[in-house]
Amino acid sequence: MIRQIINKEVLEDILSLRFLLSLLLTVSLFAASGVMFASSYAAQLKDYSEKTNENLAALREQSGKLYQLAFYKQKVYKKPRLLTCCAEGFEKSLPNCVRFDAFTSDLPEVQNEGNFSVPHFSDIDWVFITSLILSFVALVFTYDSICGEREQGTLRLMLAGTIPRHEVLLGKYCAAMCTLGIPLCIGLLISLIIVVSSKDVAVSPGEWLKTLTIVFLSFLYLSIFVLLGLFVSSRTAHSANSMVILLLVWVGLVILMPSFGRIVSDVFSQSPTQVDLRRKLDEASKRISDNADTFGENATSVSSDVNSPINNPPAHAKYGTAMMNARNQVIEEHHRKMLAQVFTGRSFTCFSPVVTYRRASEAIAGSGLSHCVSLRQQIRQYQDDLKEYIRNEDAKDPNSLHLIFPEESCARNWRTISHRPVAFGAVPKFQEREARLGESMQLAIWDIGLLAVFNVVFFAMAFVSFLRYDVR
Amino acid sequence: MIWRIAKKEFLLNVMTFKFAVATVACVVLTAVFTPILAKDYEQRLRTYRDNVARNEAELQRVKVYMNIVPTIYRPPSVLSVFSEGLEKRISDSVTIEVDQVPELRAAATHGNPYQSIFPVFDISLVSRIVISVLALLVAYDAISGERERGTLKLMLSNTTRRHQVLLAKLLAGLLVLVIPITMVFIVVLILLLSFPMVDLARPEWARIGLMYFASLIFVSAMYNVGLLLSCLTRKSAIALVLGLFLWILFAAVVPNGSVYLAAQMRPLEPREEIDGRMMSLKHEYDAELNKSKPPQSDGGSQSGARDAFGRGYDRLLDKTAMEYRQKSYRVEYPLKIRYADKYSEVERRYLDSLWEQKNLADSISRISPIPLYGSVMSTLAGTDLAAFRHFMKRVRTHRAEIVEYIRSETEDFSSPLLFTRCTQEEMAEYEEMLKKFIMLMKQAKSQAEIAALAETIKEWVEKRMTETPSLDLQDCPRFASMTGDLGELRQTIPAFSLLLFINLTFFALSFAAFMTYDVR
Repeated sequence: MIRQIINKEVLEDILSLRFLLSLLLTVSLFAASGVMFASSYAAQLKDYSEKTNENLAALREQSGKLYQLAFYKQKVYKKPRLLTCCAEGFEKSLPNCVRFDAFTSDLPEVQNEGNFSVPHFSDIDWVFITSLILSFVALVFTYDSICGEREQGTLRLMLAGTIPRHEVLLGKYCAAMCTLGIPLCIGLLISLIIVVSSKDVAVSPGEWLKTLTIVFLSFLYLSIFVLLGLFVSSRTAHSANSMVILLLVWVGLVILMPSFGRIVSDVFSQSPTQVDLRRKLDEASKRISDNADTFGENATSVSSDVNSPINNPPAHAKYGTAMMNARNQVIEEHHRKMLAQVFTGRSFTCFSPVVTYRRASEAIAGSGLSHCVSLRQQIRQYQDDLKEYIRNEDAKDPNSLHLIFPEESCARNWRTISHRPVAFGAVPKFQEREARLGESMQLAIWDIGLLAVFNVVFFAMAFVSFLRYDVR
Repeated sequence: MIWRIAKKEFLLNVMTFKFAVATVACVVLTAVFTPILAKDYEQRLRTYRDNVARNEAELQRVKVYMNIVPTIYRPPSVLSVFSEGLEKRISDSVTIEVDQVPELRAAATHGNPYQSIFPVFDISLVSRIVISVLALLVAYDAISGERERGTLKLMLSNTTRRHQVLLAKLLAGLLVLVIPITMVFIVVLILLLSFPMVDLARPEWARIGLMYFASLIFVSAMYNVGLLLSCLTRKSAIALVLGLFLWILFAAVVPNGSVYLAAQMRPLEPREEIDGRMMSLKHEYDAELNKSKPPQSDGGSQSGARDAFGRGYDRLLDKTAMEYRQKSYRVEYPLKIRYADKYSEVERRYLDSLWEQKNLADSISRISPIPLYGSVMSTLAGTDLAAFRHFMKRVRTHRAEIVEYIRSETEDFSSPLLFTRCTQEEMAEYEEMLKKFIMLMKQAKSQAEIAALAETIKEWVEKRMTETPSLDLQDCPRFASMTGDLGELRQTIPAFSLLLFINLTFFALSFAAFMTYDVR
């Protein structure tokens, strides 16, 4: 019986004006997003490889002397991700470049921001189309599915037969998902074909899997709105009222809620400023330099002759390391605070399925905030590798003092780090790695769970309301 | 007759569920968020006042003319509560320097760059989104709904003329929509005025009045769009679906797409190229400076001291150093000023391309009333690009005044007051002391004697350092904070007329459609 209901509903929907409109709108948007992405991605890749090569060439120049490798400030850019066609995640306005040497890394910066006078919109990516347009279409399809039939009087007829109510509801739900799935799938396919067929794009199996996951997420997300539509439709007697409620709920959830994020994040924590950072850095330096005696005698003196009695290289190395650690800690703390502020704003707005859905897809696609976070982690990892490499190479040089600490002048004048040339091929180079599906799933699992919970809650609500619906 | 129909329509609409829900939603949203936005404004105002006071205090401490490098802060706009515009996207401070012409800059370096993932929330968002939806909801069944119920047939079978019906519907719709808008404005104003630091002057009231007016025209434009759809369709459900699709195009697709299209049609030059051009100009400057600067002479001693604005200056100099500096600054300063203009030309050309792109995006998005209304609101709130450019222009004039002031006070950058406060007597004395010290060193006298002399010199120098009075900068030009200039509001005239034009067109179209409407 369910199948019959689904059949009838789908056919009815497909022949309607709203289906035609939504099909046209979504498919053209998906196609546009594919074209837009394909053209910008090629440019981004080119730009990225140029910048990476520049950085490597500069690093190669440093390999003439081991110590220079440690102190060279590398400049690393975020790698453009293929899956930004699914979830762009404001990549363009987020910090995209980090400078670091083996010991410290600066705060991420925004380079080449583009035009700051136009508003930052997210690109028209899949998430944008699904979260904004298709969720709306979902409501347009379902707002009259129960109360509309009541108004026409057909609901009474249908329920007068032997069909149990839950079958009607399930049938309507499945039918709505099918009709929604048509524009979504056609759109996705067109967009995928455009992206894949453009040159410079090679999709790895992992990326296919991630794409599938995002498609799955999209269905999960849309199903929330279908259930919401069914719920409201089975709470109201007139389809006009149902539309009004749904529309206002949609505006609240999809448009207003996400923009509360900034306000919430501002209210709950002050954003840390550069002035604060500088003050804290000064304080940290002062704290270490005031306690310089604890590192040994003459820990702070740096006369250029290493054998001079006023110098104490091991103590100075300890002092330098402590200074670096203290400063790094301050920078890290500052960075953590900035992230925490944004995360607070986001967590507060995750009552809105859009925010949850967007966050989950960004985590899977490896774009947006999660990209920034993972880049920083990878840089930290790389710094450790580089330091380890330098330590090993340095150990081979009998002329070096084997004190690896962050002061270039000491390394130069005192030879605390070896001055020997090294083979550039063996030097570890920074290479950004994309997270595997398992890792990104771990990040997204809570959001997926939340989406599932939304589904269950709305389903239960729709179910209960429909069971008690007055069909007259 | 018109009035009677309008009254009936008005009452019917006011008592509907949609009206109640939307109005309550608007009022609650404004009531909750206005205090937060106002607090944020107060915070920014406090920071601004602190900064200005600190700047003035520093200016009082300046010792030499070369260190007059005040920072100009932009006062936060109270109307940003209504429309935030670019308020937080553009840097709110500029430093006046001789070798740089101030230009608008992005505020990305301040605050938290990660926050750019959040869209902006201000009060105009409420009217832009919620009230525009309400306008469509009120309009969609105005005609087709009556046809479905059969009342249109009845009404028109009497002596009532069609245009009367349509005009009455328009009037009723507007009257209905005035209510939520008025309530939003009243709630915002009451809440805003309850904050002690918020002070609305007359120009601001005028701007708020215009904002109210703009909101009315905008909402009526949306209502007319809905009315047209209602006149074109026979079923109200279809009118609703069409209206909502149109709305989503207007609200989400057009603003987003216009920015993208503009970026494609007018691509920007990569920033690196601009930076490269700047670098080559800087090299040119260095080369020219080296050519015209007097050759560095041997010797010359000076003692530096701290000055205001975190700078330093040479408090004491001997004759060689004094003459060398005097000569080199005399050529360096005019050169700096000349090159500042050259840098600014390069920068200006880049910025112009940004503005062009922005204007193009704006013009494309004008096909939709929603972004159009947004831009009118930000112009009225003084948070649009034009307002910031205007501010920057005044800062540039101020810089020219400061440079001129320094030039005139230092006799074309040739007076020693530009870089030092060392008088002729002090210079002689300083030189004498240093000479004596060197003699002493050469004669290889006892360590104690040398140390004693060194101590005296140090004391003498320190006394001069601490006792230097600050410059008298009473007549130095100060930056006057923004005056309430309503002249720039003239820029909103095209947008206003466009909104009116949309109103008229859609009403004319619905009129035409309704004249031939089949009422059966």
